[in-house]
Amino acid sequence: MAPAAMSGMPHPVRDDIDATWAYLQSGITKIMMNLQEGVDLQTYMGIYTAVHNFCTSQKAVGFSAATNINSGAHRGAHLLGEDLYKKLTEYLTDHLRHLVTESKAHTDEALLAFYIREWHRYTVAAKYIHHLFRYLNRHWVKREMDEGKKSIYDVYTLHLVRWRDVLFKEVSEKVMSAVLKLVEKQRNGETIEYNQIKQVVDSFVSLGLDEGDSSKTTLDVYRFHFEKPFLEETKLFYQNESKQFVAENSVVEYMKKAEARLEEEEERVKIYLHPDIGLPLKKACNQVLIAEHSNILRDEFQVLLDNDREEDMARMYSLLSRIPDGLDPLRSKFEAHVRKAGLAAVAKVASDADKLEPKVYVDALLEIHTQYQGLVKRAFNDEPEFTRSLDNACREFVNRNEVCKSGSNKSPELLAKYTDILLRKSSTGVEETELENTLTQIMTVFKYIEDKDVFQKFYSRMLARRLVHSNSSSDDAETSMISKLKEACGFEYTNKLQRMFQDMQISKDLNTGFKEHVQSLGVKGLDSAYSILGTGFWPLTAPGTTFNPPEEISADCDRFARFYRNKHEGRKLTWLWQLCKGEVKANYIRNAKMPYTFQVSIYQMAILLLFNEKDKNTYDEIMSTTQLNSESLDPSLGILVKAKVLNVSPEGEKPGSGATYALNYDFKHKKFRVNLNVGMKSESKQEEVETNKTIEEDRKLLLQSAIVRIMKARKRMKHQMLVSETIHQIRQRFVPKVADIKKCIEILLDKEYLERLDDDDLGYLA
Amino acid sequence: MSDTKVTKVVLQSNDGTTIEVDRVVAERSMLIKNLIEDLGDESVTTSAIPIPNVNDPVLRKVVEWCEKHRGDSLQSAEDESETRKKVTEIDEWDQKFMQVDQEMLFEIILAANYLDIKALLDVGCKTVANMIKGKSPEEIRKTFNITNDFTPEEEEQIRRENEWAEDR
Repeated sequence: MAPAAMSGMPHPVRDDIDATWAYLQSGITKIMMNLQEGVDLQTYMGIYTAVHNFCTSQKAVGFSAATNINSGAHRGAHLLGEDLYKKLTEYLTDHLRHLVTESKAHTDEALLAFYIREWHRYTVAAKYIHHLFRYLNRHWVKREMDEGKKSIYDVYTLHLVRWRDVLFKEVSEKVMSAVLKLVEKQRNGETIEYNQIKQVVDSFVSLGLDEGDSSKTTLDVYRFHFEKPFLEETKLFYQNESKQFVAENSVVEYMKKAEARLEEEEERVKIYLHPDIGLPLKKACNQVLIAEHSNILRDEFQVLLDNDREEDMARMYSLLSRIPDGLDPLRSKFEAHVRKAGLAAVAKVASDADKLEPKVYVDALLEIHTQYQGLVKRAFNDEPEFTRSLDNACREFVNRNEVCKSGSNKSPELLAKYTDILLRKSSTGVEETELENTLTQIMTVFKYIEDKDVFQKFYSRMLARRLVHSNSSSDDAETSMISKLKEACGFEYTNKLQRMFQDMQISKDLNTGFKEHVQSLGVKGLDSAYSILGTGFWPLTAPGTTFNPPEEISADCDRFARFYRNKHEGRKLTWLWQLCKGEVKANYIRNAKMPYTFQVSIYQMAILLLFNEKDKNTYDEIMSTTQLNSESLDPSLGILVKAKVLNVSPEGEKPGSGATYALNYDFKHKKFRVNLNVGMKSESKQEEVETNKTIEEDRKLLLQSAIVRIMKARKRMKHQMLVSETIHQIRQRFVPKVADIKKCIEILLDKEYLERLDDDDLGYLA
Repeated sequence: MSDTKVTKVVLQSNDGTTIEVDRVVAERSMLIKNLIEDLGDESVTTSAIPIPNVNDPVLRKVVEWCEKHRGDSLQSAEDESETRKKVTEIDEWDQKFMQVDQEMLFEIILAANYLDIKALLDVGCKTVANMIKGKSPEEIRKTFNITNDFTPEEEEQIRRENEWAEDR
């Protein structure tokens, strides 16, 4: 192959390094310095061909010349190119040294412009030269690298390495200080040519060559020469700025400033910095802008809380959430504040604890909860930790407050009473959806109640009353409430409540059967309805008085009892007379357009029916016929007298021996149906006391059964462990006292459920 | 680079003749691909690309191969896949293509090396390798018309050094 003659350019002799280099240098220089004028095809192909020809010259090729096999360090074909590589390296070094000298004429922004211009020119040229020297890359460079030679790079990388080692080493600090000055200008509000910085960043990043593997890049150079000084400068700047700002402005103003600055820096990363700096820059800013001022921020938090400055609290939250452990002090302050607010709200309504309306009390609790739950949502990002602080605070003020001082069971009691009011039929009809909402709110408070067993007691009592008197506002609402309780406390908690409902349903069917039975007998009975209530499920007790029901009633009752026994043999029926009621028609009243109907209790009915026989009865006669004791008789009579159904003589006489009662034929009332079966205040008061009394007893049983359950599973346990396990199990219902648990363990030891073993261990006796 | 992509380029061999080929065909050569990338489309619309190291018959032969293989996936330059190295099979068309006199075969290999057409270089080298395969040194010398310029001592030394490779 003869070397081709090139038009325009004399082609060098292929194996003459000096001639070849002289030819190449002029081409490279053109590319390096005057690329904008363009390179023609001839020059491009000429340079490539010259490199190719040099590398394939002399001994390396020629199929007829397999010489020199034993000479030379290489095995196989000897690849030429080292000379070219060296020359190119020298050329680049010279070029860059020259640039270093030139750079000394520039400072600051002019230096930046210079650096960027030369970098751009250099890297574009490098890409050309890389392509033109491709033959060298493919063979000689590849061989050297395959043999593991360090410090031999492909031609493009060689350019970068030279730039880094010759120019960058000399000027990078000055360039960086120019960059930092520019950034400071921008931070001070001036507009800058930020593209310059971006290009410097790109250049620094490009210089991160992985010495181990030239195909990879690292960020080491950039991190050391750019990130480090940049972060230091940033810290210094914001340290100074924030110190001054805080001294001259309010904390709220400072938070706004810090927020703006943090946003600004994040934008800065997006616009012209490398994403790698994002995290460290954020950290640095968080440190100097927030962490170093966290104390004054936190001190301000109480002020913001006191003044309901929601927006500022949200700002403080978002600032302090940026630093580690920044929010903990806020949470504890928040918790204390909510507790105080809750206690204050209760104290406001608790001036007269005895007359406290359940609704007023529960509303006071709810208001505080709603207010601060809203705050957590809006200002604290609905963060679970803050919610927990809120819960802690609420639990505190719900269970231990002014009202609870008079009795620790006051909160669950009032809550249950409020629920009863809501679920009871009332003249002020509550919308169904509204009722449902209120029930949900009740559950919010319920969640915080520690003595859930107290609530259960009161609730079941009141539910029993609603069911027996069938004055529950709606079955749906009742069911919904029970399922809410079940969800919160489990099946066991609501088991009895559900059984009460079942009993009512079964009773309905039973009554239908009884009616049919009566019809089939062909007797004319009373229009009666019976409820069969399971003894274990209903919180009801047998009447506290003897009672001799009137003939009319006892006949029907006996018939029902026979009917029931026929169906369910061996069951014992106890008549809960105190809960029975009925209606009587008064046909005797003069001047009545139509007969009045009296709604009365069974006791009152028994009394009134006596007047079918004679118009006057003495107290003693009534008592001996009805067999009622005075505790039951007196209030029943009292109401009849008060309603003027009966006249007492002597007038104004209290029920008791010596009083005589007469039917009032001139009875008048604006309604034809008159309810005389009005609940007696003293009765419910008494009920309350009773309920509270049973609670203590029930708790003992609950504790004992929990202890036995645990021991049955574990067989043997340390005393201490048993106590803590019991607390753990029982906590959902109420907060047990350790002393009570110990007492219960003693009881169980006495009853020989447990035995004492050595080493403070307890054993289970089956 | 302009938006309207040039689709044809003209190649000029070292004896002055020109061949017009599709751009994709020419770009099988990494040299030409890089050239168009560096100098831009306009530079190759107006004038022919000089190929100073290749004469007209060889260039035509190379272009013929590139035409045939225009649709092949371009192996990336750095792709030293093991299968490419190991397989000595050559597809039928390429075998036929390489049935040329020795002079032409070597010219094609040199041109492929110069123009940086890796796949063609591979095919060329495999063809030569197949010509060597299974031959004794004497037969090889005969095939390629090589004069034995070793002294007997040199030859003995080489034989000893490469004993391990002998097929016994």
